[in-house]
Amino acid sequence: MSFSFQLAIFGSTLAVLFVMGFLLYFFAQDYRKKLLTGTQVSQSKTENNLMLSRMRREISLSAFILDDSKSIGIRYLITSLIFFFIGGLAGVGMRISLWFPNPTFLTPVQYNILLTEHGTLMLYGWASGSILGLGYYLLPSMLKIRRDSLGVVNSIMFWFFLLGGLLIIFSKSSATWYFYYPLTDQLTETGGGMFSFATLIGILFILTSLTISSVIFLKMIFLDRDENMGLSRLPLFAWSIVSTAILIISSAPISMIADGMVIYDLINPVFFTGSNGTALGYAIMFWFWGHPIVYVAVLPAFGLIYELLPKYVGKPVYSYSSGVIGLLLLLVFSATVWGHHLFNSGLGTVWDILFSTTSFIVVIPSAITVFNWIATLWSGRIRLTVPMMFIINAIVDFIIGGVTGVMQSDVGINELIHGTYWVTAHFHFILLGMTTGMAFAAIYVLYPTLSGGKMYNINMARAHFILTAAGTYVMTIPWALGGFLGMPRRVAGYFGIFQSYQDAAAIGGIILGLGQLIFLINFTYSMYSPTIHSNENILEEASL
Amino acid sequence: MNNKTILEFIWIGGVVIILAWAAIANASYIYSHQDNIANPVANDPSGTVINVTGYQWGWQFTYQNGTTTTDKLILFSNTTYTLIVTSKDVIHDLYIPKFGIQVYAVAGHPNQISFKPTSPGQYIMECVEYCGEYHYEMRGVVVVLP
Repeated sequence: MSFSFQLAIFGSTLAVLFVMGFLLYFFAQDYRKKLLTGTQVSQSKTENNLMLSRMRREISLSAFILDDSKSIGIRYLITSLIFFFIGGLAGVGMRISLWFPNPTFLTPVQYNILLTEHGTLMLYGWASGSILGLGYYLLPSMLKIRRDSLGVVNSIMFWFFLLGGLLIIFSKSSATWYFYYPLTDQLTETGGGMFSFATLIGILFILTSLTISSVIFLKMIFLDRDENMGLSRLPLFAWSIVSTAILIISSAPISMIADGMVIYDLINPVFFTGSNGTALGYAIMFWFWGHPIVYVAVLPAFGLIYELLPKYVGKPVYSYSSGVIGLLLLLVFSATVWGHHLFNSGLGTVWDILFSTTSFIVVIPSAITVFNWIATLWSGRIRLTVPMMFIINAIVDFIIGGVTGVMQSDVGINELIHGTYWVTAHFHFILLGMTTGMAFAAIYVLYPTLSGGKMYNINMARAHFILTAAGTYVMTIPWALGGFLGMPRRVAGYFGIFQSYQDAAAIGGIILGLGQLIFLINFTYSMYSPTIHSNENILEEASL
Repeated sequence: MNNKTILEFIWIGGVVIILAWAAIANASYIYSHQDNIANPVANDPSGTVINVTGYQWGWQFTYQNGTTTTDKLILFSNTTYTLIVTSKDVIHDLYIPKFGIQVYAVAGHPNQISFKPTSPGQYIMECVEYCGEYHYEMRGVVVVLP
């Protein structure tokens, strides 16, 4: 039987990879000890063993060996940027392939593989990875932590994350990032992909890393922070990480269990098959995590906006307390809305009413947050630097994305736009404008520190911003319009009547891709420019 | 309470009022249109029943007189229809943009949905739940005869 043969090959490859990874890690440990013997940094977890001043804050290869928080943050940032470019390349490829109604550039199988890699890499690799990176990088300075943050565990979790990302890339699954049950277990090229279970294993690695890192974040925030910093003086970025971490810890394990059940069902189908429609069981378990992850992707961006806005407006955040309340309410409400992804699956009227009402309620804390930003913008004088452009664009995109999103919680409208490009437009507004935009804003702010005193080319950074913002609009507005007329998403080809929308979106996608190339050139080229800047930045100190 | 807090309460109140209106409108729509949203099969479907089976990759329609069509749904205008939708293999999702109806096709979990076409013509119909290699070709036409 071909399946068990593949399973054996793949399982043994996986085991070898795993063992090699750990061997490499322990060799690196030796090397790291050699690096550290010069300085007086001890390996014990006693207080003050990793003083902030001793942490290296620049991008360097030793960041992959040292395991203080800053080095681990840099690792995550670099890795997630690489995943972002791989996923982005897949996205641009899909856009070009959709220029004509019938697939020409890519075969349907290739298209579906790119579709899956784009979704999984962007969410699990880029959005989650950049959050972990920024969290590890910023929290120790913001909270003036003078203690070791379980560095060895963090380090192992990073290698889990990397292994997971590599498994996602190389296993070439075509089951999309949902991995809905009967399709994922069709181990053929026409179904879920030959090795879609390996992608699931990769996702399990990444979720493990996310969950354990979240526990460590909570430890850093609540146990390790400077004793003079009361809870009421905690930076809002730390509050956003609190919400994110609790959301991850409370919902990711459900998805991990479901993934494990799907892998088990390959060998012995018991969990999701049967006479009573239990195929929906996987969908329910998946969305219990699948919706919180989009809040996981935006909440740290909210925190970054709260930290950066006052620096460029010259006034403190309009209301600190409503900022905290908004972030904590988002944590509570966003955990209750996941059922709105299954409105049309026939789970009953009560299900529809319950989850559509909670989906309306979750807008309230989002609106509190947005109004807080607008009031902050209103109260001061805006300095239009490159990060500030990204912030304003993030707020505008979040408002558009939020309005297009809340429309879907109406069950009547949902029947018309569920599964169409309208949904794609909605979450690309939020994930491109908010998550990606704020990650770039943070990278630009941190650039002098990351590069050891270099400065990025401001004109190129402006061009990057303009192409990213314009590309987002050119790509997503045709999607939204076409989606309202019934243009289905996740298709390798489409009805000829939708060609103009798809062509406009393809142009937007290419603009977007060119913008990211400018960022890449700017990011690497400026590393070799002369040192003109002190390696201070405004993001690493707490805002209060 | 200072001006700042009052302003915050005003905008929170405004948002709550708009959303409460939207939520109530939505809940009353669901109550009054229970037939027009996807629900598990009930005992007495209204109107003419058409059995729909989704498979990789196509739609099969079985009418009451026993005839079947593939990827083509033939209806008469001003008649109430109930589709009973199920699947042979993976999860599919039948979507007819013109009538604004959408229903998941899940093996072992038949769903029903009712609607009433009013204007004759030819409309598109498609699968909007990803279902494998030829997901994009799982589409067809709805013909409404006068």
